Amino acid sequence: MTTLERLTAILMDHYKLDAAVFGSDTPLEQLGIDSLGMVELLFFIEDEFKLQLPSDAPLLPTLADAVRYIDALQAQQPATTALPGDLSAPPAHRSA
Amino acid sequence: MRRVAVTGIGVVSPLGNDAAALLANASAGRSAVRRMDAPWCRRLACPLGASADFRATEHFEPAKLRMLDPVSQFALVAARQAISDARLGPADLDPPRTGVFIGTSMGGSVSTDEGYRTLYEAQSDRIRPFSILTGMTHAPAAWISIEFAVTGPNLTYSTACSSSTVAIGEAWLRLRSGDLDVAIAGGAEAPLSFGAMKAWEALHTLACEDPADASASCKPFAANRSGMVLGEGAAIVLLEDWERASARGANIYGELTGYGVSADIGHITRPSVAGQAAAMRAALQSAGCGPESIGAINAHGTGTPINDAVETAAIKQVFGARAYRIPISATKAMHGHLLGASGALALVLCLLSMRQGVLLPTMHLQQPAADCDLDYVANRARHDVFVDSMLSSSFAFGGTHAVLVARAAPESAASGPAATASGRGTAA
Repeated sequence: MTTLERLTAILMDHYKLDAAVFGSDTPLEQLGIDSLGMVELLFFIEDEFKLQLPSDAPLLPTLADAVRYIDALQAQQPATTALPGDLSAPPAHRSA
Repeated sequence: MRRVAVTGIGVVSPLGNDAAALLANASAGRSAVRRMDAPWCRRLACPLGASADFRATEHFEPAKLRMLDPVSQFALVAARQAISDARLGPADLDPPRTGVFIGTSMGGSVSTDEGYRTLYEAQSDRIRPFSILTGMTHAPAAWISIEFAVTGPNLTYSTACSSSTVAIGEAWLRLRSGDLDVAIAGGAEAPLSFGAMKAWEALHTLACEDPADASASCKPFAANRSGMVLGEGAAIVLLEDWERASARGANIYGELTGYGVSADIGHITRPSVAGQAAAMRAALQSAGCGPESIGAINAHGTGTPINDAVETAAIKQVFGARAYRIPISATKAMHGHLLGASGALALVLCLLSMRQGVLLPTMHLQQPAADCDLDYVANRARHDVFVDSMLSSSFAFGGTHAVLVARAAPESAASGPAATASGRGTAA
């Protein structure tokens, strides 16, 4: 899978967005991912690409920007090991 | 001073997720207490709890849900119900004249617990990005203000088991004075996580399991009571200036007429008769009525050995000989102790039971304790008993005791078959 395909899958899986309604140049804010949402998207990117993003990671206005950023980072940084547990799910309810 | 009406009710509770189900189950004496079966429950000495039948994904989109601890989920769903029940649309709420007042004891404890597990047990150096947002104690109130676009006071009260009684009382004060026209007030709690339950277990306050029937493990005022059972959920009421509510033809559940609060300074956990009695007296004084006006009480009635004996003595101190003729309901035997949300749930039960003309039962009370000798409406509801006013008591660790006085809406008291000419019922 390409970086764009993996990012597209993140938006489909975690935000339940239809791939038909966005493209690589669609502003993410238009999809409901504002500055706070970007914090979470960066978290998902770390999980998916096994990357450790710097604490001053930039805001990524579009998926195309994210692709460029991730590809550049991957070229510099080897992937980290998988993280324990699924941290992307909502807070688990007591009996869920 | 203005009068304050309750015009909307919303609940997420172990006894049902709407007012009708809650009242039906409580009237029938059904207990929601059960032995819980989550894997971590094996590490509890007594894995009892009263959970709500609640599916978050039915109420929230995934992206929103990741920002909500169960306590905020419960609060938002109950608030939506209350506002819908009050038949208020967005245009009916004047944003700066509407406030949100929420009580919660433990806030986002499920998220906090998971954060600790991630860091300490899973040894991860990463934690959920929204851990602060889900864990912060005032998140339920914040989300309610945002969802309903109200810009008046947005306040959270955390006074342990009296949190939502305080929240409703403080909202009442602002409506009464004319500072606000509408308040969304109540409480929410989600304490059924491993860490929270272990902490309560360590304090030796939780009930032992009844060997014959786990659902009967919480036994307020009984000789064999052993403690409380934790429950989860939210209860929200829509408080509204009485004149405004009447003018728009709102369905009025009842009137909030009094609120009293006291500080019990003798001990951090052990309540005193004087402290509890002081809160009851303060509530009666603010309602401008005497003890003779109270037809029934929804007791704090946790099922702990200390509270129930002290509460019985405090009721006697306030009501004198008449204490023996006042029906007292301890509904925590059925829905468990919702901690910071319990006071709001108790107030809702007072309003619904006055309207329906039913005195709710104190279940699992086969043999009252020697020092618990009042009329606790043991084991069976009493129907066709219409009372005019009820006291709803919440007593708390830390000593913040709070009591509300609620009066039945005129039509329900007057229409009851047992109502007297004065509108006061026959129960007391």
